[in-house]
Amino acid sequence: MKNTCAMPDAPLCGEAGSDFGSLGWCCVSKIETQNTAKRGGQNGAMIFQTCSRETRGENRKIYGKVEMIMICPMCGNAVTAKRNRCEKCGEDLTIFRKMYLLANRYYNEGLERAKVRDLSGAVLVLKKSLELNKRNTSARNLLGLIYYEVGETVSALSEWVISKHFQAEENDADDYIEALRSNPTKLETLNQTIRKYNAALQSSKQGNDDLAIIQLRKVTNLNSHFVKALQLLALLYMKNGETDKAVKCLTKANKIDVSNTTTLKYLQELGEMSASLKEDGKAADRENIRKNQEPALFPQTSYKEDKPNVWVFVNLILGIAIGILGVFFLIVPTVEGKYKNQLKKQEVEYSAQLNKNSQNLTSLQKENTDLQQKAEDLQTQIDELGEAESDDTVYIELFKSASLYMEELMSGNTNDMDYVKVADALAKVEPNELDKQEAKDLYSQIKEGTFTEASDELYDDGHDLYSSGKYEEALETLSKAYEYDSKNVDAIYFIGRSYHQLSDYENAKKYYDIIIEKFSDTGRASEAQQRLAELD
Amino acid sequence: MINFDEEIAKFQPSPEVDEAEDVINNNELSDITDIIKTMLKELKAK
Repeated sequence: MKNTCAMPDAPLCGEAGSDFGSLGWCCVSKIETQNTAKRGGQNGAMIFQTCSRETRGENRKIYGKVEMIMICPMCGNAVTAKRNRCEKCGEDLTIFRKMYLLANRYYNEGLERAKVRDLSGAVLVLKKSLELNKRNTSARNLLGLIYYEVGETVSALSEWVISKHFQAEENDADDYIEALRSNPTKLETLNQTIRKYNAALQSSKQGNDDLAIIQLRKVTNLNSHFVKALQLLALLYMKNGETDKAVKCLTKANKIDVSNTTTLKYLQELGEMSASLKEDGKAADRENIRKNQEPALFPQTSYKEDKPNVWVFVNLILGIAIGILGVFFLIVPTVEGKYKNQLKKQEVEYSAQLNKNSQNLTSLQKENTDLQQKAEDLQTQIDELGEAESDDTVYIELFKSASLYMEELMSGNTNDMDYVKVADALAKVEPNELDKQEAKDLYSQIKEGTFTEASDELYDDGHDLYSSGKYEEALETLSKAYEYDSKNVDAIYFIGRSYHQLSDYENAKKYYDIIIEKFSDTGRASEAQQRLAELD
Repeated sequence: MINFDEEIAKFQPSPEVDEAEDVINNNELSDITDIIKTMLKELKAK
């Protein structure tokens, strides 16, 4: 820690083994001088430094005697406050000391006024203090704080910079400047409020009250402590007859600076001064009482951080809601109408297409009916042609069988004729399909000449097969013999026998019954009777 | 009854951050001590 005492070489009093410097001084009020502007300690506001003369006792202890010194304005030498003349330059310091004391008194008064939020009054007396002593950095720092509180950021900064100029080290202005410098966003916001305020002021001077009001409302939302903006907004509200809003703005401004003459004048103009001031006065009195009861070493500062602005979020939500409603009421009907028109257009197109398709369907149905009629006619023709072809087939088969019969007859020996071959060919002819009488006669003639003999031949072949135990083949041959000659009782008998041998007793019985019924006078009938008895 | 136009005319623009340097430079920093010092020097010169 460096010494802030006016004695440049004096160390802190109380430090063990400290060297008290060439002048024999030590500083005992370091803490007080460091936090003067924040706490408003009276001693810190003075240029007199509270230092203690070192008596150079045996134990090198610090002694309780505190003396006030001042810096000679003529030569810069540290002079004990009791002395009226500088030890170095011999200048009479009486007038200077009185001026410094007066400056300190003004500072103290300014501090007291600032504590009760009489900021305008505090500014006046602090300026007086600085007129008497420009090096009173505590007064200058406090003036900067007050400017900052009422929204005059640049004025505040300028006071702190000047304070820094007069006291380069251990100056509270360092903290204030650093607090702003370390938060560029905050500084930019404050600068924006100033710009908007200036723009609003320009608009109001040009008669654009509505625009000015909108801009000032933004300004007061960004910095609710900007007293000049609140006053101008209130004035514009008053001009437009919106007294309630004007009162609200002035009440806010009055809470920040209770003795601002402009605010009070406007309130008086509105006739609301008495009511608002009564309430605020009571609140201020209670606040003052509370503050006065607190220890002097820890007074509360007037500076407070701005509360988060809830209205910004409320406005944001309202904006989103209005946007959604706008979409529903404006965009949706437009889109819906567009789609309806498209659907109507498509419907008309489809209707036209449907009519066209219906017409095509009618013509196609008519065409289909015509084609069906044609198909029926053609089918009739085909059937007629088919009948003619069948007739031809019948005649072809008849001619084939006739040809075979003639060939067999031409061979000369009737015993060697293959009657079965001729009968098989004739069997393919359907006699009912023969139209011509000549053909029917030819059929009957060939049949009479071949079927009986063919049946006998087949019987012989079938009997041989039966005898050799080939009952199924025998059955096939004998059945054919029975087909060509239904009176061939031997063939019928052996058909029954073949079934009998194949254990098909039902069919065997059937053929035995035929012999017994139709050929009862033959020997085969008694045999059939005997076989039938075996079955029973 | 106040005159609104006159009242509005009384409001002055607030200095912006860019103008801080001008505000500092234009600040009158002479105090009574300086005046007295000047007076004393003049008296001694006479």
